[in-house]
Amino acid sequence: MSRILCVAEKPAIAKAVAQHLSGGSFQTVPIRGSPYVKNYLFDFNFGNPWGTCSVTMTSVIGHLTALDFESHFRGWTSCPPSSLFEAPVQEFVSNDKKAVARNIEEQAARSRALFIWTDCDREGEHIGTEVRKEARRGNARILVKRARFSNTERAHVIQAARALIELDELQANAVAARIELDLRIGAAFTRLQTLQLQNLSPILAEQPISYGSCQFPTLGFVVDRYLRVQNFKPEIFWGIKVIHTRDNIKVNFLWRRVHLFDRAAVIIMLERCLTAKKVKVVKVNQKPTSKWRPLPLTTVDLQMMGSRYLRMDSQKIMKIAEGLYTKGFISYPRTETDQFDKAIDLKKLIEKQFPDNNWGQYARDLINGKFKTPRSGRHNDRAHPPIHPVCWVAPSALPTADDRKVYEFVVRRFLACCSEDAKGQSTEIEIQYGDEFFHANGLIVLERNYLDVYVYDKWESSQQLPKFEPGEMFEPTEAKIFDGKTSPPNYLTEPELIGLMDANGIGTDATMAEHIAKIKDRQYVATRNRGSGRTSVQELIPTQLGVALVEGYDNVVAGLPDSPSLSKPFLRKEMELRMREICAGTKTRQQVVFESLNMYREVFIHTQRRINMLKDACRKYLIESAAS
Amino acid sequence: MSTPQSQIAAQLQSAKSLSVSHSWLDTFVASSSASLQRNIPISALTQTALFRVLSSDFRDTLITTNPSSVLPMDIFDPAVKERRLVGPIPVQVLDIEDIGSSLWSQVEAIERVERGEAIRGREIVRTVSVGEEIEDRASNNNNSGNNNAGGNEGGGNGPHRLILQDAAGTRTVGIELRRISDISIGKLPIGAKLILRSATVARGMVLLTPDCATVLGGKIESMDRAWKEGRKARLMARINEMAQEGQMTRGRGGDAMEE
Repeated sequence: MSRILCVAEKPAIAKAVAQHLSGGSFQTVPIRGSPYVKNYLFDFNFGNPWGTCSVTMTSVIGHLTALDFESHFRGWTSCPPSSLFEAPVQEFVSNDKKAVARNIEEQAARSRALFIWTDCDREGEHIGTEVRKEARRGNARILVKRARFSNTERAHVIQAARALIELDELQANAVAARIELDLRIGAAFTRLQTLQLQNLSPILAEQPISYGSCQFPTLGFVVDRYLRVQNFKPEIFWGIKVIHTRDNIKVNFLWRRVHLFDRAAVIIMLERCLTAKKVKVVKVNQKPTSKWRPLPLTTVDLQMMGSRYLRMDSQKIMKIAEGLYTKGFISYPRTETDQFDKAIDLKKLIEKQFPDNNWGQYARDLINGKFKTPRSGRHNDRAHPPIHPVCWVAPSALPTADDRKVYEFVVRRFLACCSEDAKGQSTEIEIQYGDEFFHANGLIVLERNYLDVYVYDKWESSQQLPKFEPGEMFEPTEAKIFDGKTSPPNYLTEPELIGLMDANGIGTDATMAEHIAKIKDRQYVATRNRGSGRTSVQELIPTQLGVALVEGYDNVVAGLPDSPSLSKPFLRKEMELRMREICAGTKTRQQVVFESLNMYREVFIHTQRRINMLKDACRKYLIESAAS
Repeated sequence: MSTPQSQIAAQLQSAKSLSVSHSWLDTFVASSSASLQRNIPISALTQTALFRVLSSDFRDTLITTNPSSVLPMDIFDPAVKERRLVGPIPVQVLDIEDIGSSLWSQVEAIERVERGEAIRGREIVRTVSVGEEIEDRASNNNNSGNNNAGGNEGGGNGPHRLILQDAAGTRTVGIELRRISDISIGKLPIGAKLILRSATVARGMVLLTPDCATVLGGKIESMDRAWKEGRKARLMARINEMAQEGQMTRGRGGDAMEE
């Protein structure tokens, strides 16, 4: 019997896979030096050409190796920060991972083949190459394959074990490029700004002032919104409101111009309405309307909707979702895909929800004829399906209320995707009054459909509109001027920030939550509650340091043509686009590292040269404003 | 035989309703004598003349003797509810503003351009809709100032308020009552020329519609440059002015409460 070594990304996945492949009977062997990682021994038939093999299933704990500068560049003052753009780097296994690496090396020595079971995304591919490197140390001729899976449900895992593929070197290369760029750029700027700023104030000497190419644009969004709120100037506007009462129903007609910022113009417009005396109904439009069921769930959407409806921050949601995935309850929660593959048996997944007390009946109704094929979005990462429940879980089997909330959201969203759109009838009445046009809208919800299970969406009937005939003339009950005041935008909330990061190409769906957590951690932003009770939301407000850094870097490049600020998304966005080019095979890892380093080096040189701008901004916000 | 002057004058009058002054035409023809000698057709010369007239200050180039081609002196009179200008009256644009957008949103748009965010690839998405939050807000009339303040789009769609001037120097306010596609900030420069025909004036303001206002184009370069350079400062000045007025009224309100 051949010996096969299987390696997963996390201990829990290793155990779950071992459980499924072994049918529940496996031997657990602890490994020397690591309390978390275990080896699971069992036999399994992988099908042709492997046949029944003796399997050792083990895992790493995330990345096995790290990248750092060679030792004489590691000290903070060992070299000018600018030299970190070229300083030699080396990959090494950190001390806390040594036992895990040794285990892989030892197991590989006795194995014919290595099957990689890391998560199927870019990071997972790269971790796969790290595992392969260690395995080859022990056995240079070991065969390497990869299992492709997107959830840990039994049949899916067994199928993945029998349809092995190759590691995706391109994706692994993209991650390697990203790691090197993050190290060099992060270290160079972090050292530069920490060394230059720490003497300004004791507050700045407390901890390193870290820079990250994702963190800073993320902070930039928070500061940008904060300054827009702070700088906002309210203005008065005026508009015309037409009210008509018919059949005891008071109908408010809204001005097509909404409102204007010139009072005299509005007064003249109203006078001309009044002079015309009668209103003419120009359009009565009754048409069926629908509210679309949601798209299949992606990571970004889970984070955005989750933090909006479930009142948890995105990092926490992702942590819970990871846990649910590891236990085999939901599919892999890191995905950009918002379309279900035709091959996936959606009805079977729906049937699994029958036992539930809350939505079981709804699931049954879907199977009994109400099922609709989900809408397809425009994204497909070709690695994972949209996030969906893999099996039904009794609430009592979930440890915390938050686990239950996230699981419930995933299930309800999935059932909603497979439902009919909500249907209604909309009425639009348009009237002309003098030279001006006004309209009134009505909505009657006829069939709630998906809304019954997707409790997060609201769509309700408006007041019933009385009957109006096209061409009809009438004298309105009232026409008058109203006024109002513009109001500032709100401070940024976490779901909005995730949306902005996504829209501006900052971070991947997998890392956004981390970046947000990091800028909170670094005390560049703080959170604050707006409102209270059920409607309260958490707002992100920058600290003085956060504002100072953004303003400082903006000033550094102010007036320089074609030099975008580090607080803006462009540089990082270009880097992300280049990562994708590596994945697509249109650029090599070396090319991308070279090009991206050049872009950042230019900003680095400007920053060094105009470091006083950064210092001035820190003085302004941290010293002067503290003194006053 | 008619002179080149009279031929050009007749064509500009019939095609564009512009009554160009004799002295300007004499100077123009004198400076174009080389072209005349080379037998350049009069129609081409007329085109050149039109271009120059549209780039000129109407007060220097048009005659003002015909009362129907200038604005009434008392046009500003707010006591007159409605009157009609038969015209045609050539006018030039001295100022344009978008009264459909708040001043502050216009300042923010200018600042985005200043920061280079209007360049392709350098745009920043600043608002996203999270669920229905934004929709809810947009349908709420009193709060839709937010949309103006938060919108990413640079120029609004008006309506616009123009300051217009005729050949005699009389000024009036024009309100874009119905959308005129050539009128927008950035598209209609200062010094651009319009012809008004059968326009309605209400309480001293000319109501501009596609039927009564024809945009001829042109601009006065020096005025347009100065207008653009000073636009942000003027917007800011008006915002500050309003803020001060606001404080004064609030202050008065406070006094009243104490009494």
